[in-house]
Amino acid sequence: MILEMSRIRIMGPREALEPMLELLQDLGVVHLVPPPATGPLAPAALTPAQERRRRQLRRILDDLSAARTLLQLPAPRVPARGEPAAASVSDLARWARLARRVHREARRLAERTSALEEERALLLKYRQAFAAFAGLLPPRTGGAGFRPFYVVVQASQASQVPRIRELLAQAIGDGFEIRANPLPDGEVALLILVPAGRAPKVERLLDEIRLAEMPVPRGYEGSSLGDAMARMLARLDRIPGELDRTASERAALRERYADQINRAWLETGDALARLEAYPLSRVTPRAFVLDGWVPARLAPKVMRRIEERGGPDLAVLLVDRSLWHGEEAPVVLRNPRLFRPFELVVSLVPLPRYGTIDPTPYVAVFFPMFFGIMLGDLGYGLLLAGLALLLRRRSAPESRLRAASEIAGACAAFSSIFGILCRQFQGDLGHRWFGMRPIWFARHEAIEPFLILVLGLGAVHVVLGLCLGVIGSLRRSRRAAIGSGLSAVMVLLLVAALLAALEVLPRGVLTPAAIALLVAFPLLVLAEGLLAPVELLSTLGKILSYARIMALGTASVMLAVVANRLGGAAGSAVVGTVFALLFHLVNFALGLFSPTIHALRLHYVEFFGRFYSPGGLQYRPFAHWTPSAPGRT
Amino acid sequence: METLWIALSAALAVGIPAIATAWAQSRIGTAAAASLAEKPELGTTMIIMLAIPETMVILGFVVAMLIMLRGGGG
Repeated sequence: MILEMSRIRIMGPREALEPMLELLQDLGVVHLVPPPATGPLAPAALTPAQERRRRQLRRILDDLSAARTLLQLPAPRVPARGEPAAASVSDLARWARLARRVHREARRLAERTSALEEERALLLKYRQAFAAFAGLLPPRTGGAGFRPFYVVVQASQASQVPRIRELLAQAIGDGFEIRANPLPDGEVALLILVPAGRAPKVERLLDEIRLAEMPVPRGYEGSSLGDAMARMLARLDRIPGELDRTASERAALRERYADQINRAWLETGDALARLEAYPLSRVTPRAFVLDGWVPARLAPKVMRRIEERGGPDLAVLLVDRSLWHGEEAPVVLRNPRLFRPFELVVSLVPLPRYGTIDPTPYVAVFFPMFFGIMLGDLGYGLLLAGLALLLRRRSAPESRLRAASEIAGACAAFSSIFGILCRQFQGDLGHRWFGMRPIWFARHEAIEPFLILVLGLGAVHVVLGLCLGVIGSLRRSRRAAIGSGLSAVMVLLLVAALLAALEVLPRGVLTPAAIALLVAFPLLVLAEGLLAPVELLSTLGKILSYARIMALGTASVMLAVVANRLGGAAGSAVVGTVFALLFHLVNFALGLFSPTIHALRLHYVEFFGRFYSPGGLQYRPFAHWTPSAPGRT
Repeated sequence: METLWIALSAALAVGIPAIATAWAQSRIGTAAAASLAEKPELGTTMIIMLAIPETMVILGFVVAMLIMLRGGGG
């Protein structure tokens, strides 16, 4: 259901605006909205000093947030509602200095860590590459008069090594040495030693045959790879120590400033939220007016608290219901515990308007039922129940994931129930192995009864939507309510006439139903206009749309039966079992996805269409600042 | 011969709507991808939109099943 809301109005001397916003922040239940700008009331604009302060607070908050991220500080405890606020930001300059200093230091340490880790990764790569040459190094490496070339030949060119030797001999004669070391991945490490005077010719040759020398890393230029490697290995040994020192410095920084940073962060956020709430008030040169929405059951308590804390100069009153429209009020959905998880399904479409109908309880009944009829298998139901349990264990209370796990649990229960009623356990396996018999009917054998069942359910669902439309319309227009009511009656009459024509109902029903339809038709046109017959036909189309439940249910059970038969036809028991399990897994995945989408669609398109009125405002009470919703809870 | 016609009718009853659904979904999918690039919050709406043309093939499937059952081909 949608909670009833009250609008309260607070008035007082202008200098009391800031303390009043602090109090409202502590209370955390008033959704602030601008009061009507009548008479001398004008929107409260920030003074230049306040605007400067706002910008400063924003900068401080950005610095503090960045510092918190760099120092990986855990989320601080948000002050509970009604708890007195911590010390106010009395010295902005002090917070600004703290934020700047800690942010700068944390950034320096983070950059240092990042640079060291990058350097270590690079050196490790070089060490790995250089290990390929380790066994090749002759005693004269690096000796005067010789120039070493370090080359790694790709695996695809490994067979070309003798050819390279020939080309070198042709280019510079016999005065060179070449050593090869095959690497595990098929590449070949080559060390070529040539007299220094012939090095340019070798460089040209390597360039021509597209073999690149292993480059010397930045910072080690000017020396051969062999000399550079010795320095690199020494550096590699020193890096872990430097990383440890950086981590210690960061831990010390966190230890020293964590509390101050967290406190400053929350207080800065609170102060900024208060300043940003100023434009929501209306002011005269001497007074302010604030309007806000609170759940009606909390209104007396909230007004009493404001009167107690505000003193004699402050007035708080309840705005009369006749002075505001329902569309202005924010919407709070509050349902019994059993239905609450299904608010998640409703939250996927825009909120319903205040004063209209919250469809959550109906969704809680029909969504898992439709899902259950479509999946309708005891084995799959148990598997889904297991998944739901796992999801529940891994989710936080009140989270969306927890709600999803509870919805999955309800869907699993309905799937299992329909599985038992229709003798489905992994398709026809329950029947073949355990001799399960249908209590109701076997879905893949009794197509017509199944179709009649789902169309009947569709008629109930659509007519329920029309009835809710009548209730909703009664609050706005009696004529629209009569139109919705007549539509519902005519749908029922049409269904009755069709069933009588198909001899599902006694034939005697047909004539009275037809006469009633003829009488109701002109009344419907009078109430809803000339388009009413088209609407009526579209409503019948909506009922037919519920045939998808039967179609998906039959397809699911047929796939399961096919999985069992293919498994049995495999020849080998092991191969057959593995094949059948894989097929069932695919069918189960499809069985989760398709029923969810189609059950959602049946609700959003077929059911909500006649009564759901989207466009409600989200209830966002003005409260202590939290990073997820600055200025709001 | 009669079985052949029954099977052919059932195949057409599900096949033609399947092609129509595929065509409609391809158009919706293209538009959905473009919309989602700008407004990711439309994800749920887009999934529902994609499910709407499936009504054709689902009803086609139902008709095909009825043809098979009534015609004795099932």
